[in-house]
Amino acid sequence: MAREQLLIATLVELADNLVDNFDVIDVLTMLSDRCVETIDVDAAGVMLASPGGELQFIASSSESMRVLELFQIQVDEGPCVDCFKDGLAIVDRALTDPDDRWPRFSPMALALGFKSVHCLPMRLRGRTIGALNLFRTEQGSIDANDIALAKGLADVATIAILQHQTSINARTLNDQLSKALNSRIIIEQAKGMISQATQCDMPPLLLG
Amino acid sequence: MSIDRLIEIFGRLADHDSGESPSRTLCNVAAGFTELSGAGIALYSQEHQLTSLGTSNPTSHELLDLEMVLGEGPCTDASLGEDAVDEGHLESSTSMRWLAYTPIALSLGACAVFAFPLRIGAVRLGALSLYRDQRGELTELQSSDCYLMASVVTRAVLAMQAGAPPDTLAAQLEGEGSFDFTTHQAAGMVAVQGTMLIGDAMLALRSRAFSSNSTLSSLAGRVVSRSVHFDPSSGEWLEGQGRRQGGL
Repeated sequence: MAREQLLIATLVELADNLVDNFDVIDVLTMLSDRCVETIDVDAAGVMLASPGGELQFIASSSESMRVLELFQIQVDEGPCVDCFKDGLAIVDRALTDPDDRWPRFSPMALALGFKSVHCLPMRLRGRTIGALNLFRTEQGSIDANDIALAKGLADVATIAILQHQTSINARTLNDQLSKALNSRIIIEQAKGMISQATQCDMPPLLLG
Repeated sequence: MSIDRLIEIFGRLADHDSGESPSRTLCNVAAGFTELSGAGIALYSQEHQLTSLGTSNPTSHELLDLEMVLGEGPCTDASLGEDAVDEGHLESSTSMRWLAYTPIALSLGACAVFAFPLRIGAVRLGALSLYRDQRGELTELQSSDCYLMASVVTRAVLAMQAGAPPDTLAAQLEGEGSFDFTTHQAAGMVAVQGTMLIGDAMLALRSRAFSSNSTLSSLAGRVVSRSVHFDPSSGEWLEGQGRRQGGL
């Protein structure tokens, strides 16, 4: 499939997922796979923060990426950990052994065949909810368009995740909203009736 | 669905002043993003009562108010029907769909009115109301932007309500620029003043607002502040507080 077609297919799939049958892991696994298919990286993976702020492994395009993501969490060190903490992208970071920045992560990644890493924060409204890891088996700089593309995919996945809860509960929530609105209307009408019958003014706090 | 446009909406929402109510932010972003003059969010309660959740400017407020008074207009159609409403030339509108609404909307400065249903699948909340002070159809991009914005508004409203206790409106949906319940308080007062059912009191308020060229919310405000009341013996609306009701 051509790159543009793949991209469009990905976006349509993500958009569909905004509505129903949403599964966070499916969406992020797809995001990882598509990153490898559409841009010049050899492995991709996503980590998300739990409500308590701890990074969790969510998805990866390959077994070696999965191992490295779990390793980063275990030793609390690596590109994804930094990217999540700082909220800043890491681009074209060559791995070396020894490595001052990641003394434990780098040798492990090199052993699994990776030579350079990139990591993009998944951010929305100032909040970092996770990070997208992109690993390459070669050193050298990644194409700026590739980074932009990966960033676009990560942005959409972020929005999809944050809207996830809303989508699946739409009917229930709408019923609740409608009931709540109705109860509130009745309460306000009753306040008006009492106010008139007793000639007590509406308390200012309850006016609106 | 254009992902670039969706990201643009989220960027605008993120940039907005955190001091204003979320519903006001949604309306302001809707107006700016669709490049129209103003926006409002209308919700339908279970009793099919149109209620304004917020508006971006005074004219969009008056337009929604007008729909509440008349029971007709673009949001009413978009909320109840299947399709978006696109009246780019309200003045020369041949549809004659809103005989009472159209001339008043024009006099308020709305030359074009649009409404997009707020829905997810079969779940319907109400409509996103938009107007422009100049005539003209929506461009293709504007039209798809409006649909996208309506879908974001739908999800945002439901997301805000999520987590509120049963039968309670979420705190985020209350406050300055959100729901205005004065009309319902006034209906309660008028029901007692005229010894009538609440539905009839609401009708009486609507017809009074219409016949006195007033907005429903300003009339309601005057009822609540007791500067006007309904006199059942004459069937007239009188200035001042009126006679004291006995009994309680």
